[in-house]
Order: sequence, then C-alpha cells, then structure tokens
Amino acid sequence: MPSFLSLLLLSIILATVSAGSDYTERLLLRPLPQSALLASFNFRSNDSQLSFEEQNFRYFPRSLGQILQHAHTKELHLRFSLGRWDAESWGQRPWNGAREGGTGVELWAWVEADDEDEAFSRWLTLTNALSGLFCASLNFIDATKTIRPVMSFQPEGDHSNAPNLHLLHGTLPHEVVCTENLTPFLKLLPCKGKAGISSLLDGHKLFDASWQTMSIDVRPTCGIDGHCTLEMEQSVDMVLDIDRSKRPRDNPIPRPLPIEEIKCDTSKGYNAGDTCYPLDKSSEPSWNLTEVFGRSLKGACPLTDQEGENAETVCINTPPERTVDVNTTGSYIESRAVGDTLRCYKLPTGHDFDLNLPSQQMTTGLVLPSPPLSAARSINGHGQERGSIQTVITNPSPTSAVEFVYLESLPWFMKPYLHTLRARISASPENPVLETYYRPAVDRLRGTHLELRMRIPAASTLTLSYDFEKAILRYTEYPPDANRGFDVAPAVISLIDPAASDGRGQYVRTTSLLLPLPTPDFSMPYNVIILTSTVMALGFGNIFNLLVRRFVGAEEVVAGGGGLGALVRGKIDRLKGLLGK
Amino acid sequence: MDRQKVLLFGAAAAVRLLLFTAFPSLPHLLAGRVEVSTPVTSFKRLQEGLFLYTHNVSPYDGGVYHQAPLLLPLFSLLPNPSYYPFATNVLFTVVDLLGAQALMQIADSGQSVKTRLFESSRKELRWSSLAMAAGFLFNPFTIATCIARSTSALTNLFILAAMAKASQGASITFVFAIAIASYLSMHPVLLFPPLLLLCYHVRASKSASAPSLLSFAIGHAGALASTCGGLLYVSALLTGSWEFMRATYGVRLLLPDLTPNVGLWWYFFTEMFDSFREFFLGVFWLHVASYMPGLTIRLRKQPLFVAVTLTGVFAVFTPYPSIADAALYLSLVPLFRHLFPLMRYTFLASATILYASFLGPAFYYLWIYAGSGNANFFYAITLVWSLGLSVIVGDSLYAALRDELDVERPELKGKEVKRI
Repeated sequence: MPSFLSLLLLSIILATVSAGSDYTERLLLRPLPQSALLASFNFRSNDSQLSFEEQNFRYFPRSLGQILQHAHTKELHLRFSLGRWDAESWGQRPWNGAREGGTGVELWAWVEADDEDEAFSRWLTLTNALSGLFCASLNFIDATKTIRPVMSFQPEGDHSNAPNLHLLHGTLPHEVVCTENLTPFLKLLPCKGKAGISSLLDGHKLFDASWQTMSIDVRPTCGIDGHCTLEMEQSVDMVLDIDRSKRPRDNPIPRPLPIEEIKCDTSKGYNAGDTCYPLDKSSEPSWNLTEVFGRSLKGACPLTDQEGENAETVCINTPPERTVDVNTTGSYIESRAVGDTLRCYKLPTGHDFDLNLPSQQMTTGLVLPSPPLSAARSINGHGQERGSIQTVITNPSPTSAVEFVYLESLPWFMKPYLHTLRARISASPENPVLETYYRPAVDRLRGTHLELRMRIPAASTLTLSYDFEKAILRYTEYPPDANRGFDVAPAVISLIDPAASDGRGQYVRTTSLLLPLPTPDFSMPYNVIILTSTVMALGFGNIFNLLVRRFVGAEEVVAGGGGLGALVRGKIDRLKGLLGK
Repeated sequence: MDRQKVLLFGAAAAVRLLLFTAFPSLPHLLAGRVEVSTPVTSFKRLQEGLFLYTHNVSPYDGGVYHQAPLLLPLFSLLPNPSYYPFATNVLFTVVDLLGAQALMQIADSGQSVKTRLFESSRKELRWSSLAMAAGFLFNPFTIATCIARSTSALTNLFILAAMAKASQGASITFVFAIAIASYLSMHPVLLFPPLLLLCYHVRASKSASAPSLLSFAIGHAGALASTCGGLLYVSALLTGSWEFMRATYGVRLLLPDLTPNVGLWWYFFTEMFDSFREFFLGVFWLHVASYMPGLTIRLRKQPLFVAVTLTGVFAVFTPYPSIADAALYLSLVPLFRHLFPLMRYTFLASATILYASFLGPAFYYLWIYAGSGNANFFYAITLVWSLGLSVIVGDSLYAALRDELDVERPELKGKEVKRI
C-alpha cells in the first residue's frame, strides 16, 4: 500500500511540472510486468498569447501556429494510436487516459465560429491543413466522420474570452499510424529529435511497440493576473516489449532457447530430458536505453532549464532495490523522490547518456494502480446482414460508484436500432442510463452519434447491447480490400469524477471493431446492367407489343404478306405507281 | 354461405394468431427477411421510428425510418410490441381479414367479367368470392407478410378497399382509400385512373343519365388531390416539418438504401456507374409509370383488369417490392378465372414462381451467411422471380385481349389469331 500511495503522489508531481518555464520535456520509464516497459515522453512549450497573435513564435511551432490561426481553432487535440493497452496487467493508463486516442487517428478541436456551418467549414480547413502537416489522411474526416459531442469532452484551456466555440470531433479508425507521422511530429519540437529525450524516438521501435500513442494538445491557459499563454503539449507513450526490442534488427526472428538454458519446472510429472514445463521467469530482464530504443540518448536539449525540477528530464520508476547504472562521459545529477521509487536524472549536455539495468532477482514490486473502469466491446451475431454490439464495462472499485459518459461514433452504413438498446447491471434491476443523446445517421451524409450518461454501482458489471443492420453500399463506395471489412471507431468512455482536478479528465477507450459488410460482385456492372435491362425489356416489350398491335385471324393474313419481302414489294409497287404517272 | 364465411375468416384468424403465439420468434425472423420486409415497410424500422417519435427525436432526421408519418401516432396507441405484441398481432390479423372482405366485395360485384361496355363470352366460368377470399387469406405470401407485420399489408388493404369501393361505385370511400394507399406507398396513385374509370362505369350503369366523364374525372381527381394534400398537411403538422417528404417519398424515388429485395432495382443501382445513376432512376420510374396510360387506353372497357395488371407491374418493377406485392397480385388474378383457358404459359410461370420462392431464401443464405455464394446468386433468383411474374402479367394481358376479340369478332372464337 505505501507504494500505491507513492504512485498517486508521483502522478501529481508529474502532472504539476510547472508551466513557468517556456520549454520542458520529461521521459518517465516504468517497467511493467511480463518484461514490458512503459516509456512516457512529454514535451511542453509555452508562448504568450500576445506574441502568438502577432505571429512571434519562439517555442511554439510556426507551421502549426499558423494553421490554428487560419482555422480559428482555439483548442486542439490530435492523437495517433496503435495497439491495445492491456489494463489487466499494466494497470491504470498513463495520464489517466487523457493523452491517448482510439486506434488510428482521433482529432477534436474547439473552433471559433458564428454558426455551425462556418464552424464546419473551418473544421474542414483545419483537417486538410493538418493532413498535409502530419502526412496523415486527416482530410478524409468529412461530415460522415465528424460529430459534435455534447457531454464527453470538456475544454482543458481557459476560454473565457471566446464565446462562440464549437466542439468538433472526428476519427479515422482505419488509419495506419507509421513513421511518416513521427517525422513531422519530431519536427515540431524545438530540439527536433537531435538532442534531449526526443533523440530516443525511432520509428522502427515506436511502431513496433505493443501499444503506442502520440498526442498533440494545444490549449490557452490564463493566470490570475490575466496574462494568457498558449501551451502546446506533445507526448508519446509506448509500451515496449523488452525482449522484442532487444532483438537485433538484422536478426529479428525469435528462436527457442536450447533446452539446457530453459529452467524447467521439475515438479511436473511429464518433465523429462527432452520435454520441459518452463518456469515463470522471476527475475527482471536486463536492458539499457540504447538497446530498447535502438538509439542512444544524445544528452540534454539545451533549451530546457538548467536548474531545478524541470532540468531532470529522465525519470525511472522502479522499486528502490532495483540497480540502475548510469553510463555517461558527462556530468549528471541523480535525485530520488517518492520513497526512492522515482529516480530522476539531469542529463549532461553534449554527451551521450544511458541507463543500464542488469538482470536482477526482485523481492518487491511496484503496486500498479488499478484502472477506475475496464471496458470491452465486441460485435455479436453472424452473417453479413445484421449483428449486435455488446459492451461490458466493469467497475472494480468495491466502494464507490462511477458515473461516466459513453460515446459512440458509428459509420452511416452501420444502422443501429436504438429501440433495442439494453443496459443491464449485474445483480441489480435499476436502469444505469441517466441521460441519452442520440443523433441518427443519414445515408451518405453523417454518421450515428450516441452519448449515454450512465452510472455503475460499486463492484458491478454493466452490459450494454443494441442491434444494428449493415447496409449494402454502391460498388464504388467499397475500398479496394472490400472483404477485409470496415473499421468502427472505438467507444470513448469519459469519467465524470468530481475529485479529479487536473482539468484533463479521465478516459477509457475500447478497441476498434472490424465490421464485415455484404459485398456485391465487383466484376459485374456491365453484366448486371445487361441482364436487368433484358428482363425489363422482356416485360415491357411483351406488354406493349400486345397493346399496340391488332389481332386478326391467322388465315386472314395474306400468305407471305409479312416480313421484309412484302415491305420491299410494297415499296416497289409504290415506286412503279409514281413512275407511271 | 354466411356460416361458411365466418368459418373461413375464423380459420384464417386462428392460423395467424396460432403462428404468432406458438412461434414467438417467427415474427422477428420474418421481419428480418429481405423478401418480406423492405426498408420502406419493415416492422423493425417502424419500431425504431416509434421509439424515436416517442422520445422526441425526429424519426425522419435519420436513415432508418422511411414510412408514412401517420403510422407513428397509430402504432404509438398500441402497447410496445417488444413486450406486449398481442395488440399489434391482432391489428395485422384484422387488416388481413378486412382485405379479404374487400376482395369478396370485388368478386361479388362481377366487374371482372361484365362491365358496362363489355361482357365476356366466358362469364359463367368464375370462382365464388369465398374461394377468392380463401386464396388470399391462405396464400403463404399473405400469411408471411402478416406474421412479419410488414406495413405493406396496410397498403394492400387500402388498394383492395379502393378497388372494392370503385367496383361498387362508392365515390367518396374509393377516393379516400386510394388516397391513403398512395399516401402510404406513393405508387398506388397510378391505380387512380383505371379505378376512376371503373367507378364511372358502375355509376353510369346504375343511374339512368350518365354524368359527363370529364367532370366526373376532374371532380374525383380534385378530391384525391385534396385528400392527399390534407393527409400530407396533417403529417407535417404532426412531425413539425416537411422533412418527412424527403425521408419517405424521396427514398422511394432516389433509392439511397440498397438493401436487397426481390425486385430489380437494388443490384442494378449497386452496380451502376455514379454518373448514370440519376438518368437510370428517371428511366426506371418512367418505365413503371408508362404501363398505366397504355393499359388504361387499350383496355378502357375492362378497367378492373387494368388495375389488377398494374398491381402485378408494381410487384415487379417498383424500387422496393416484396412478396406482399406479389401476394396481392396473385390473389387478384383469380378474379379473371374466365381468362385462364386462354393463357398459354401458366405452367412455365407457376413453375418459375415456385422455383424462385424456394431457391431465393437458400441463395440468400449462401451469400450472406454461408459465404459460399456471392451476391449474384440472390440477384439471379430475383431475375427469375421478376421474369415469372412478368410472364403472368403479359400472359393474362394476352388472354384478356383475346377475350375481347372473341366478343368483337365471334367468328374467330377458337381459331388461331395473329398480331399485326
């Protein structure tokens, strides 16, 4: 329990990295169970609102700043994410989930505009410009992928002097986040990945992580004296598999160890010379920064503070007994905090810096804080016609109830039936839904937007389910890999917690879903046009043939009177008559 | 006779209610079948619309509910069918029984064999109205539509009622019924001219001095327009805006929802090139509408036959047909029992219909669930189905014209004829 308390303290310390200086960065390393390693990079730069409006950019990147000014965007949140946070073994999410996004790309922003149409056109300007800046398909966030959340998101900044703000939210669950998104991300940093902790960020390792999320948050903050600054926060959080990261790049295929090197559980009956039941590894693996990140840390970024708390840019959160060796030729300062579970280092400038953790048998471990909620969402049913969504949300706390907002943004071709929505709490008949906001989808114009404010009692499970129908699309609307299915954006669960005071909120996101749709035969357009037209022509021809022709007895028709011959003979007769005149 | 009718209606109601209660999952299953429920008639979509309506969300500001606004207050009076389905089941059973009653009135009027200007030479060849009603009530397609609680059952009822009232010469109720049918599904408005003619003939033969056809037509068309306008206006008042027009009639006209059905449109417009979509929508609608003037003019002496043939055309060529439309047509065709000896392809057509009825669900399963077939399987079967129905339509039309010829030129009776 003491270490649990200390972790709470730790997160408060990390969250209150003061906004006084203009540029701060910090890397927090935390070994997780099963030889995983959480690395949280955080970069913050401040510019005063006044100089921003006069286009004097110091730490705030000019490229992004001008986009925000042009699109009248007052607050921006952009996320690039991959993978799944394994809350069961890794515990609470970094930043309480406030700095992560759903799989793919997620963007939400507060745009200043007089009415909704103007807000939407500015939103399109913003997404198109950001698309160019981040080499992502953000320009595909159109009206069908944009919603206007009413309960889920609260602004983080101070917007007292901007009354006409519109919140817009868009997701691209199909977007594959990759190195081309990291390069522009690093270019926004003052040290641009050349020095400081950002020199550790390497695309090969970052996008090979079990879970990673890159975020950019821009918000205005105002002090009590009325002096406002524009704060930009960039963060990268990733969970690396240490064993996987340590594999050399030229030999990445894992191979089984020779049996002599595996520790076997000899208490098992079938243990023999050639069979083995491997024992759980109880020792922590050895690693160092260069190995797991694939790059060495090139000393401190000279723009950070040289003194004080903000100068300590690398922190590692381990039990006190864990050996951490520093390997550098320059001078560094180590300080310990929070009962020695947090070791922070002030980096030398201009010299490489490395942390070396040898393999070690541990007797104590950190108690990871458990998440306030855990959520899993899946598609039930079979066939390509219809299905149902089921979300299971569990409140692990034995004492306190949790109130939250559940947000779904579904594509238009997935048509939910809201009258089939059922929310049940295990072992309790009460209805957990307190408030519903629903905006149904319109074909090809907008997607479904569903927000539910719900309350889940202590130590219980909430099951939410609803039916949906899958639409069949026009054949030009299918992507080239039509049979792979369509991605459905993750549900966003935002906790309504009066105790949380850091202004960022707490979020849990489910994984995205893959929705297979019925497909037509893509090779058939001409055949279908021909065959359908034939059937229609048969019906039409038959009926109109009957309607416009006259019946006569079969023997009344002159023999040989029909056909081409009679026609020609008639013409000749007529011609003869004309000539004879 | 009356006893028999009670027995028949009682048996039909019992079969329906038994199916409803003995197989509680059957309505849900059938309501999900694309052959029975289309996007514009599905009961599940009606429930969704009702849910949104009762929760003060406009059901027309969405892509699910495409049915007429006045159905909402009607069904919101009934208890929620998810929990208490009995009232809804009874309602749909009653709708079927009323439809059968209207069908009996049509059959009893005798307009199918003898009108003011035309009398068939085979008019003694008829089935009793009770047999007609039995054919309608125990038609498996009608029963499936009723169990699926598809709102096309209501449209069918009002079409039958309009025919019944027109064949009795009851102007006001005829106009009212055809207005409601048109309001519910738009295309029945095409039945107005032939039924107007039918109503005129009946009125003219009843009274000594026939009213002028022009003033009769103008008066009734005005009544129809004002009734439809009134219904639409009440709907607009009810939903608070005119946006229901786009979500109901707009959907039928522009086909944004390409859910498979037994018709010809869905796969054609799934596969259509985008730049030609509007053009072919226009052509297809024009094609549907083109049958009405041609048939009405050519068969002006037998307007009831024109109306019945048009219901067959609707069952094939409208954007969202279902087996309910086919059920209506196939129940009306026996009115012309006297034409059956003149029809040439009865075996071919009935075999095609049976073939499509059995293979359709199987091929749909192969495509959607088993994954061992593709969309072409179901598409092919809808082609066969449409072809089968259009063969019946064309063949009965041939028989009707041949029958007219026999009256005009009795010397040709039984002889081979040619079309020139």
